[in-house]
Amino acid sequence: MLIGTVIGNVWATKKDPTLTGLRFLVIRPFTTDGKISAESIVAVDPLGAGIGERVLVVFGRAARHCIGRSHDIGFQAAVSAIIDKMELEDGSTIGPTAREDQPAKR
Amino acid sequence: MFLGRVVGEVWATRKVEDLRSLRLLVVEALDERRDPAAAKVTPVVCADPLGADIGEHVVVAFGKAARVATLGMDGDFAFEAAIVGIVDDFDVPDAPASWKMQDVESLKAARAQRKLGDSGKSAGA
Repeated sequence: MLIGTVIGNVWATKKDPTLTGLRFLVIRPFTTDGKISAESIVAVDPLGAGIGERVLVVFGRAARHCIGRSHDIGFQAAVSAIIDKMELEDGSTIGPTAREDQPAKR
Repeated sequence: MFLGRVVGEVWATRKVEDLRSLRLLVVEALDERRDPAAAKVTPVVCADPLGADIGEHVVVAFGKAARVATLGMDGDFAFEAAIVGIVDDFDVPDAPASWKMQDVESLKAARAQRKLGDSGKSAGA
């Protein structure tokens, strides 16, 4: 499982039939040093997260279970939660979007 | 599985039903970053059935092992990573300095102090 920020949507007309009607999001993983991660993930979103929102992404069996269409589905990653808050050890907090982030207080 | 360090905690209201009542912690893997200036790894979010604290070293498992360790059974659940052990001590000769275990109690006290300071400030404002 990892935390990421939704950075976009993907649409595909020609796709595996098990994926019909599902929403795909492009998600950028969160890094603890504040640098922008070079990788991005595509995940199915059963919850309805919007661009800029922080989400929890799960993989594999857990993801197929989240999508909720039995196990035979052509996808590996899914959004399982929309983050309200994350507190890190240095005292900084990460909000539902980057606007609500609070840096560590010295 | 990997050895990691708990660096944070996550809360979410809108989530898949079976994540309810699971405590979610953010764990950073202890790995040897050859270049000290290299970007940090993306932290992993884990279910925490053991009650680990921020700053503690933990062992993280994935997949079936994680589900069994958390709920005592395998099945369809919306998570695939869990803390399966809280490390008391480890011995890795030549381990980098960043692996060093910290005094969790003093970290906890420092965090509480900081929170207290925050609320004092907002009350004054």
